[in-house]
Amino acid sequence: MTQVNNNNNRSQERPVRALVLTGYGLNCDYETDYSLRLAAAQSRRIHINEIIADAKAGLSDYHILVFGGGFSWADDHGAGVLMATKLRRHLGDQIRRFVEDGRLVIGICNGFQCLVNMGLLPGFDYVYEERRVALTYNDSGNFIDTWINLRINQDSPCVFTKGIKTMELPVRHGQGKIVADDDTINALFSNNQVAMQYADERGDQAMRAWPMNPNGSIRDIAGICDKSGRIFGLMPHPEAFNHYTNHPDWTRKKEGLMRQGKTIETEEGDGIKIFKNAVDYIRATALT
Amino acid sequence: MASRLEIRLKKELFDAEGAGVRRKAREYFGLEVEDVRVIRVLTVDANLSPDQLEQVRIGIFTNPVTEESSFSPMALDFDWLIWIGFLPGVRDTQASTAKEAIEDILGIKLDPDQGLYTSKLYEIKGKLSLEQINRIAAALLANDIIQQWKIFSKEDWDRSEGIGNPVPKVILNHRPQVSTISIKSNEELSAISLERNLALQDRDIPIIREYFSRQDVLAERKKVGLDLPTDVELEYISQARSDHCNHNTFRGLFRYHDLATGHREDVDNLFKTCIEAPTLKIKEQKDWVKSVLWDNAGVGEFDNDNYYVITGETHNSPSNMEAYGGAITGIVGIYRDPMGTGKGSRLILGMYGYCVGPRDYDGGLNPHLHPRRLLDGIIEGVKDGGNKSGIPTPFGLLLFDEGYLGKCLVFVTAMGIMPALIGGEPSYEKTTWPGDLIIMSGGRVGKDGIHGVTAASEAYSEHTPAGHVQIGDPYTQKKMHDFLLEARDEGLITFITDNGGGGLSSSIGESSRFSNGCLVHLDKVPLKYDGLDQWEIWVSESQERMTIAVKPENLDRFMALSEKHAVESTVIGQYNDSGYLRLDYEGKTCAYIRMDLLESDFPQWEFDAEWIPPHIRGLTEPVITEPGDHGALLHDILARPNICGRNWISRQYDHEVQGGSVIKPLVGRKQDIPSDAAVLRPVLGSNRGIAVSQAIIPFYSTIDTYNMTAATIDEAVRKILAAGGDPDHIGGVDNFCWPTIEYHPTKNPDGKYKAAQLVRSNLALRDYCLAYGIPLLSGKDSMYIDGNLEGPYGERRKVSGLPTLLFTACSVIEDISRCVTMDAKFPGDLVYILGETGNELGGSEYYRMTGYIGLNVPAVNAQELLPQYHALHKAISKGLIASCHAVSRGGLAVHLSMVAMAGELGMEIDLGKVPAADGLGPSQLLYSETCGRFIITVSPERRKPFEEVLSSTHLGFIGVVTDSPVLSVTDTGGQTIIREDITGLKESWKRPFGALI
Repeated sequence: MTQVNNNNNRSQERPVRALVLTGYGLNCDYETDYSLRLAAAQSRRIHINEIIADAKAGLSDYHILVFGGGFSWADDHGAGVLMATKLRRHLGDQIRRFVEDGRLVIGICNGFQCLVNMGLLPGFDYVYEERRVALTYNDSGNFIDTWINLRINQDSPCVFTKGIKTMELPVRHGQGKIVADDDTINALFSNNQVAMQYADERGDQAMRAWPMNPNGSIRDIAGICDKSGRIFGLMPHPEAFNHYTNHPDWTRKKEGLMRQGKTIETEEGDGIKIFKNAVDYIRATALT
Repeated sequence: MASRLEIRLKKELFDAEGAGVRRKAREYFGLEVEDVRVIRVLTVDANLSPDQLEQVRIGIFTNPVTEESSFSPMALDFDWLIWIGFLPGVRDTQASTAKEAIEDILGIKLDPDQGLYTSKLYEIKGKLSLEQINRIAAALLANDIIQQWKIFSKEDWDRSEGIGNPVPKVILNHRPQVSTISIKSNEELSAISLERNLALQDRDIPIIREYFSRQDVLAERKKVGLDLPTDVELEYISQARSDHCNHNTFRGLFRYHDLATGHREDVDNLFKTCIEAPTLKIKEQKDWVKSVLWDNAGVGEFDNDNYYVITGETHNSPSNMEAYGGAITGIVGIYRDPMGTGKGSRLILGMYGYCVGPRDYDGGLNPHLHPRRLLDGIIEGVKDGGNKSGIPTPFGLLLFDEGYLGKCLVFVTAMGIMPALIGGEPSYEKTTWPGDLIIMSGGRVGKDGIHGVTAASEAYSEHTPAGHVQIGDPYTQKKMHDFLLEARDEGLITFITDNGGGGLSSSIGESSRFSNGCLVHLDKVPLKYDGLDQWEIWVSESQERMTIAVKPENLDRFMALSEKHAVESTVIGQYNDSGYLRLDYEGKTCAYIRMDLLESDFPQWEFDAEWIPPHIRGLTEPVITEPGDHGALLHDILARPNICGRNWISRQYDHEVQGGSVIKPLVGRKQDIPSDAAVLRPVLGSNRGIAVSQAIIPFYSTIDTYNMTAATIDEAVRKILAAGGDPDHIGGVDNFCWPTIEYHPTKNPDGKYKAAQLVRSNLALRDYCLAYGIPLLSGKDSMYIDGNLEGPYGERRKVSGLPTLLFTACSVIEDISRCVTMDAKFPGDLVYILGETGNELGGSEYYRMTGYIGLNVPAVNAQELLPQYHALHKAISKGLIASCHAVSRGGLAVHLSMVAMAGELGMEIDLGKVPAADGLGPSQLLYSETCGRFIITVSPERRKPFEEVLSSTHLGFIGVVTDSPVLSVTDTGGQTIIREDITGLKESWKRPFGALI
């Protein structure tokens, strides 16, 4: 269980503001918003059309932009494809400015699919327009909901995974298989842009064994970041591990602890670490 | 001129969809197909310039990493090509999103007569005959009810022409017209009703004729230019009086006659006596029951600030014809009920129950869809409906029986949550006021779903109109859901209800009873295409629509929010207190009916119900000696279709979206054994939880539906309690599916017996809801689960489903940290049985396996069980229990195996210690399905307090959990009769469906 990092000064600091996009079939917005709040961010759920309509205020008020999970445009014509088309047209410049300002972007599941289709990932050489990576149909041909183990690349610049070695999270997708040409995959690894990979229970790479690697993703890639580490996309759902009871084996863990005269240390789920890292980064860079 | 864009995966990439087709061709027909690759086709029937087309191709529809595309044919290397597209008028959701994207990227608006159409082209390689390819097209890929297809061989493929430009556009060329209907005689109106598929009931016809002949009515009608009844009016009355909407069967008079004792009793109105009366009584005793029996769903209290909403229904007939479309429409449709309950709730959960023929059926009957294909389609429909709505699907059931070959059953259940107060008023209250605007939001109206309600009230035959098959669109509905919640929270919604069965006719007909009248302009209703008659607009069941009452002063804000969410909303009329339902079209009145007509004295349906007790029917206990090989028996029963693992279904359903999953559908060390109940945390900041479970045991109906119903309720209750549910807060939902009970000497010769079965079932429902204090928060009945199937000699045989009740139980858990899962946790833990085992194998899995039904069907003694349930709950609340599992189908042997398999641990069990009636042999102890029993494991350290809490119950300490993964059972004489490796048992349990994905 996560140890809550109690920072008593937090309340006096200036708020870190996060924006969770909603609308058009996106659907993990409530729990993502809740997870960000647990991580001490001021979070808001806002409809894509509201951001587009309010071009002046736009994104400038926020430090963390979240492309959450769901089925934007029903996943029709490729997961994340139509959302990427829409956002590139209406918010492309704003999002690029947001990134250039040193702020953070995270895409989870459908959000990740959108980021690669917009070209924000992999963002080689800080060019954020090129589609080099695709997230396509799972090898199994079907949607899967299962918990998986992740190993975190300790050398990755990824802001969101700092200090984390392994993590358990649920995946819930039909199109999570990372596909790219060899050069792109090699570049992702040599730049340490592969932030997380599917693993076994010991934290060793899954070696594409199903269901540890639930989709057949090349070299077990589960999440990648851009070169700066400030844009991050992942298929697993950290916001769905916001409480210890989300974990599939929590009743056994709790029972085991009880017999040692212990109780669960904190109610918070491990997934919150990802969001805390983001909040801590913004604070540390004094972007607030 | 239409253009055709073809898109395919790059050659070097694995085609997962194609691989799925290969797999199914092998599984369905034993056909070995070398390779299948899929080409997506988008036909653009719009005036776009070559530049615009190219912009669309590159900018939207082609992923440069994975895909190639062209406006010329892309098929390359194949032996056969199968092209599959929709029939005109079938909902093509991908075409809608494509249109939206094209309009956005080009900054244009396509004319209404310009359209987009998606289809698919399958490149098939392999040595297959034309007949085999036809089979793949017709019985695997396409359904002729909604799709069309073409087959091309390598030889007759024209590389330059390709598949041509398929444009399945709806062109009606019809001027909307209101017709009047003669009411000269009962016979004539009855004949017209039959001819026009009006489905007016013969017993209603005199009442209808009388109304339209009344002098005062005629005088009033004259003022608005009407005389004889119009088709719109008769459609409205027919819809409102249908069994589906009015529950005529359940409200009927049953002349019950026990043929054995001669006892006669009239049961007047099953709904009132067995559902309404007990529920109202319990509502008075339980504060948490907030709103029941009138709205789209029932409402219970979650906490001081939030109420939960629950309802369930079936979508059998449409699923039986088009499995995917029927099932997705069913699940998406049930979600609209909580959305339309009170002032609207946010969806938090969906559940499913499927009853189908055996997956490997190879008997002589020929159902429209083979059960395997039917089940695959149903599973996929609920998957897309649930997942794409962002609503978790954490619980469900699947049952196989040949009786469901006639008509499959698809149960769907939904829950929502809403703030206790909206604008200072209880959220579950709503009404319409004169002056409120009538707004229709969501989808548009087409011919789809016309006469769905009346078709659901009929048995399936080769003449069933296919027009009511629809394909639900979770995307459109999700947008509407988000929009309506925002509108609700701003206090803009006065009244809301969904458009499901009966369409506007039902939603406006019912909502205008509050204000006592309405005026609707049918010409304002947005249509998918021109040419619908007025009556069609009024009764169409086109999906994803809600009817909302909005005060005129709130209209602007409501419409602004609607636009923000990209949802279409239209003012189509106004509520008033005129006492009339009035429909106009282009300024001309086409319906004018007094609101009180439907309250007039329509004759009650009447049924003769003749009960023959099971022993008089010749049922007896079978004569079976004690098996010599108990181990082999256990392996085989674990592999029975209604016992074995069906994990492939729950794995493809997102059961953790919304982030509140507490107990998942699959639990245990490897998360591969079904849990007793699902628990979730709907309010993320709170540690309160909602537990849900369901049960279905139709096999007991063959002996006595009274016991079937009692056992089903008890099983749902047990499962809820096993997970930590509160016995003082259990809400119920009853979903009946029954074969036709109307007696007919040749068409339904056992109708009177089936009617008696329904009466007995309802009496049990009443008795056990009262005994357990369960209010029926919601419920539905779906009759006519019969089908006339083609046999091997060209004959048609009637197949009736077993009388079936799906019972849903829900509970609120005060502290989710007290929840318990069913898996054995640690070696050395003590194994207990709570509840006494009786000689009750009638209808059991063991008897059915050996080809018998038996007589001793489980009976439920609620008064004896209730104290045990409260004691169990106390033990769970005190944290004294490591695991708890309700014993159900298959009995102790099966469920001890489940507990051990889930924990990946062994067990040593002494049958001699099982609390039981006298004289039971090992096979009776192991396979009896006596209700009220639990398997519990407890840490040795907590033995004393645990046994104290349960001191006045039938509790047996029967063994221990072992590290060695072996299930070992000794009989009453100390002889080991089972010694089986847990891994091997699990393999047997997973074998039947383990390879399915």
